[in-house]
Amino acid sequence: MNALLIVCGLGFISLVAEIINLKKGLHIAIVLGLVVAVAAVIGDWNTSATFFNNMLIFDPFSVAFTCLIIVVGIFWFCLTSPFFIGESHQTDRTALIIFTMVGGIMMVSFHNMAILFLGIEILSISLYVLAGSHKESFFSNEAAFKYFIMGSFATGFLLMGIALVYGATGSFDTSEITMHIEGHKAGLPGFFYVGILLMLVGLAFKISVVPFHFWAPDVYAGSPTMITAFMSTVVKIAAVGAFYKIFGLCFFSVQMSVLPIIQGIIILTLLVANIIAVYQNNVKRMLAYSSIAHVGYMLLGFISGSVKFEGILFFYLASYATTSLIAFGILYAIENAKGSTSIDAVKGLYNQNPFAATCMTIALLSLAGIPPFAGFFSKYLIFGSAIEADHIMLVIVAVVTSLVGVYYYFKPIIYMFSPAQASDKLYLSAVQKAFLGMLTAAALLLGLLPEWIITILS
Amino acid sequence: MVNINVLITLIPLLPLLGFLIIALNVHKISHKKSSYLACGTILFSFILSITVFTHLLSLPADQRVLSITLVSWIQTSGFSADIAFLIDPLSSIMLLIITGVGFLIHVYSIGYMHDDAGYSRFFSYLNLFVFFMLLLVMGANYLLMFVGWEGVGLCSYLLIGFWFKNHDYNKAANKAFIMNRIGDLGLLLGVILIFINFGSIDYQTVFTNPSEVEVTTLTWITVLLFIGAMGKSAQIPLYTWLPDAMAGPTPVSALIHAATMVTAGVYMVARNNVLYALSPFTLQLILITGLATALFAATIALVQNDIKKVLAYSTVSQLGLMFVALGLGAFSSGIFHMATHAFFKALLFLGAGSVIHALRGEQDIRKMGGLKKLLPVTYITFFVAVLAISGIPPFAGFFSKDEILAHAFAYNPFVWGVALIASLLTVFYMFRLFYLTFYGTARDEKQTMDHIHDAPKSMAIPLIVLAVLSITGGFMNTPEVLLGSSWLQKFLSPVFASASGIEIHHLSHTTEYVLMALVVALTLVVIGIVYVQYVKKGHVPAGEGRLTGIQKVLYHKYYIDEFYDIIIVKPLFWISKTGDTIVEALAIDGIVNSMGRLVTGSSNVLRKLQTGSIGFYIFIMVIGIIMILTLTTLTGVAGQ
Repeated sequence: MNALLIVCGLGFISLVAEIINLKKGLHIAIVLGLVVAVAAVIGDWNTSATFFNNMLIFDPFSVAFTCLIIVVGIFWFCLTSPFFIGESHQTDRTALIIFTMVGGIMMVSFHNMAILFLGIEILSISLYVLAGSHKESFFSNEAAFKYFIMGSFATGFLLMGIALVYGATGSFDTSEITMHIEGHKAGLPGFFYVGILLMLVGLAFKISVVPFHFWAPDVYAGSPTMITAFMSTVVKIAAVGAFYKIFGLCFFSVQMSVLPIIQGIIILTLLVANIIAVYQNNVKRMLAYSSIAHVGYMLLGFISGSVKFEGILFFYLASYATTSLIAFGILYAIENAKGSTSIDAVKGLYNQNPFAATCMTIALLSLAGIPPFAGFFSKYLIFGSAIEADHIMLVIVAVVTSLVGVYYYFKPIIYMFSPAQASDKLYLSAVQKAFLGMLTAAALLLGLLPEWIITILS
Repeated sequence: MVNINVLITLIPLLPLLGFLIIALNVHKISHKKSSYLACGTILFSFILSITVFTHLLSLPADQRVLSITLVSWIQTSGFSADIAFLIDPLSSIMLLIITGVGFLIHVYSIGYMHDDAGYSRFFSYLNLFVFFMLLLVMGANYLLMFVGWEGVGLCSYLLIGFWFKNHDYNKAANKAFIMNRIGDLGLLLGVILIFINFGSIDYQTVFTNPSEVEVTTLTWITVLLFIGAMGKSAQIPLYTWLPDAMAGPTPVSALIHAATMVTAGVYMVARNNVLYALSPFTLQLILITGLATALFAATIALVQNDIKKVLAYSTVSQLGLMFVALGLGAFSSGIFHMATHAFFKALLFLGAGSVIHALRGEQDIRKMGGLKKLLPVTYITFFVAVLAISGIPPFAGFFSKDEILAHAFAYNPFVWGVALIASLLTVFYMFRLFYLTFYGTARDEKQTMDHIHDAPKSMAIPLIVLAVLSITGGFMNTPEVLLGSSWLQKFLSPVFASASGIEIHHLSHTTEYVLMALVVALTLVVIGIVYVQYVKKGHVPAGEGRLTGIQKVLYHKYYIDEFYDIIIVKPLFWISKTGDTIVEALAIDGIVNSMGRLVTGSSNVLRKLQTGSIGFYIFIMVIGIIMILTLTTLTGVAGQ
C-alpha cells in the first residue's frame, strides 16, 4: 500500500517540477523514489491487508506483481534517459509514465470492480497520450489516435460486463461476487454469463489477444520505441495480472463457461501472432507480434489450472519483461543512432557494438525459448503444466508455433552477426551498459535458477 | 594442513585453467609463457597427486577410498548425477601415471615443438587432454567418466590433425574419431543399461549389489562396455585408427596414443571388475580379443618400416596383452603392465621423436642407421626401453609381462603359448627397429648427417627420467618368487577385492622359475637371430615392390584397411549418397521446405489483415464478440 502512495506522490512531484522548474534532478529523483517504493513493497512481503473499505487488497500476489511493476519501471527509466533529457515536456512524460504505473498497480491489487475500472482507465488514458508523445511524428499521432478509439471501444465492453455482473450478483466487491456465485450456482441469470463474456472481451483487448489484437501491432510500431517497451512490459504485467485476478480468482467457480472460448483464443493467438511475425521486416513490429504471442503462452498456463500457476505466471512475466526490456533497450539505441528499427538497421551490430549484440542475442534466444535462458524455463513450465492438465492438442500447437518463433527471432541474430556495410559504431552510455548487463545476467540467472522466482508465489 | 578435498579438486582444475588461459590468448601469449604455464600446471597436478597418494597410503588399507561431491550436476526425478570424484588405489595410480608421464612429455614438447607455428595451440590441447583424462579416471560415476572419455577423444582428434594443412592427417584424425564413435556408442549403451538396471550411475551404488541383476543383463552390460574399450584401446576389430593416429606430433603419440588415453579401456574394465567378475562370458571374450590382437598386431609390426608405425602396432599388441590379463581376471597384473608400458612405450616414442627430430622429419628406418654415435643419449635410453619391452630382467617389462604369462600358463598352456609367441615377436621387431636405426652404416643423405645433433636438454631430461623408470618400474610389483612383496597387487587389492571370486590359479615356485628361465632364454635366442640378420649381415628391408608372399600381406597389414573400405566405408558412402539424392532431396527437403513455404505464405496472407484501418479492426472485433456470444449460446456452455 505504501508503495502505491509513494508512486502516486512521485507523479505529483513530477507535475510540480514543471511548475517550479526543477527538471534537472527529476530523472534521478524519480528512480530513487521508485527504489524507495520497492523497499516499501518488500516491507509488505508475505502480508495480506485490505484498504479503503476493501477497495484494494495487498496480498502476496498483489505485492509480488507490484514489486515486479516497479522494478521493471526502474530498469525502464534507467534505459530511457535520452527519451526524457533534451526532449520537450520532460515532466509531463515522466508524470504520465508514473501514473501509468499507478494504474498498473491498481490493476493488480484491486478488490473491487470499480478500482479495476479506475486502474485500467488511469493506465490507458496515460498511455494514449504517451503513444502520441512524438508530436511531430505522423506514426506516433496515428498510434495514439487508434489506440484511443479502440481502447475506448473495449472499455465500453468491460464496463457493460461489470454492470451486468453487478446486476446478477449485487456487488462490485470481488470476494462478495465470488461468494454469491458459489451460493447461487444453479440460479445465476443468463445475463450474468453475458457479463462475464463482455468482461472477457474487454480484458482480452487489454492483453491484446487475437482477434482483439489489431490495435497492438500498429500502436506498438507507431509509438516511440521506449513507450512500446513500456507497453510490452509494465502494461502487460498489469493487464495479465488483472486478467488472472478476474478469471482465475474472482470467477474461478464459473471458469468452465469461458474455458472453451479462451482455448479458441489461445489457438488463434499462437497461430496468428507467430505466423504474421515471420513476414515482418521491422524488428519493432516483430517484437509487437512476439509480445502478442507470449500472452498466448501465458493463457495456456492459465487454463491448465496448476496450483503453482501464480508462481509460473510471475516467473513468465518476469523473464519476458527482462528479455523484452533488453531487446527494446538496444533497439532504442539503434533507432537513435540510425533512425530506423528495420531489420537492416541491426545489420552488423556485432561489429559496431559487440556488447549490445551479445545482450540482444541472449534476449532473442530467451524469447525464442532456447535453454539455458529464462524464456526456455518459462515455456517449459507452462507446457509441463498444460500437459498435466491434458491439453495435449494445445501444447502441440504451442510447440509448433514456438518453432515458427525460432525463425523470426533468429533472423535479427543472423543480421547482427553478418558483416556491416557502414563501419559506424553504436554508442551506449555507461548507465545503459550497466543496466543492460544486469538484465542480461538476470535473463541467464532466471534460466539457471527458476525455482528462486517461482517459489515466491507458491 | 590443507583440506585433502581441495587438493583433489585442484588436480583436474589446474590443467583446465592452463588450457583456458592459453587457449583464450592463443595468438597473444609468448611461446615461453605458454610452455611454462602448461608444464607448470601439470607439475602442480603431479605434486598434488603425490600428496593425495601419500595421504591414501597413510590410511588403513580398507579405508583407502576418498569420495567427494563438488556439485549436484543433473537432478531430475529418477535420475541424478553429481560432479563427484572417487580416489581409491586404482585412480591414484592412474593419477600418478597421467600427471607424471604427462609432465615429462610436456617438458619434452618444449624442445620438440620449439619452432612450430602452432606452439601455444599445441600446449593448450595438451593441457585440455590431461584435464579430460583426469576427469575420466577421477569421476565417481559413469557419466563423468563418459565426459572424460569423450573429451580425450576430442583432444586426440584435435592433436592427430594438429598439422591440419596436411589433408592425410585430417583423414587420420577423422578415422580415429569415427572409429572411436563406434566404441563410444557401445559404452553409452552400456551405461544406459546400467542405469536402467541399477537405477543409478554412481560407481559405489552399482558395485554394492551387482548380483541383484541377472547374469544375462550383466553380460550385455559388460560386453557393451568392452566395445567401448575396444574402440579406445584399439583392439580387434576397432584398432586400425591407432597406427594412422601417428600423424600427430610425436609427443602426442607418446602421451595419448601410448601412455594414457589408449589405456583408458583397460582402466574402465578394471574399474568395473565387480561386474566383469560376474560375467564369465565377457571375460572369455576379452581374453580371446586380447590374445588375437596381441598376436595379430605383433605380426604386422614385423615388416613395417615407419619407426612410429612399428611402435603403434607394438602398442596395439601390448594393449592386447593387458586385456589378456584382464580376461584372466588378473586385474592388478593388467594395471601393472599398463604402468610399466606407460614408462617404456612413452620412452620409445620420445626416443623415436628425438631421432625424427634429429633427422628433420625422416621416419623411415631404412634411411636411418649408424645413429649410435651421433645420438648417444637417445641411443642409450632407447636401448633401455627396448630391453624393457622385450622383458629382459630386471627391466620393468620383464616383471609385468612375466606376471601375465604366469597367469596365462596357470589358466591354459595354449593361451600361454600364444601370448609367448606374441611377446617373442615383440622382441623381434623391437630389436629389428633398434638395430636398423642405430647400427650399421648411415643410409641417410649426407646433408642431414652432417648437421645432426642429439636431443636438447628439455628433450634429454624426460628421456633419462623415463629410462630410469623403465629400469626400476618393475620393482613396484616384484613377485614373491623373486623375493619381492607384490606391493602394487596388495595396494590395489581393495579395489579388486570383490573380483576375487574368479579363480586365479597359482603356480608352484619351481614352475615359475622354469617358465621365467624359458622365456628369457627364448628372448635371448630371438635377439641373437635379429642381431645376425640385421647387424652381422647388414640386411636392410626391401622396398614395397620386392616383397613377396606372407611379407607382402603383413606389410599391407593383412589388407584390413582395404577390407574395411570395401565392407563398410564404400557401402556406407553408397547408402549416404542414395539417401542424399532420394530421401533427403526429395522427401525431407520437400517436406521441410514446403512447411516453410506454408508458414511464410500464410504469414504473407495474414499480415494483409493488418490494414491499418480502424473501421476494419473494430469490425473484426465485433465479429469476434458476436461469434463468442453465439457460440456460447448455441453450445450452452454457460450455466453448466
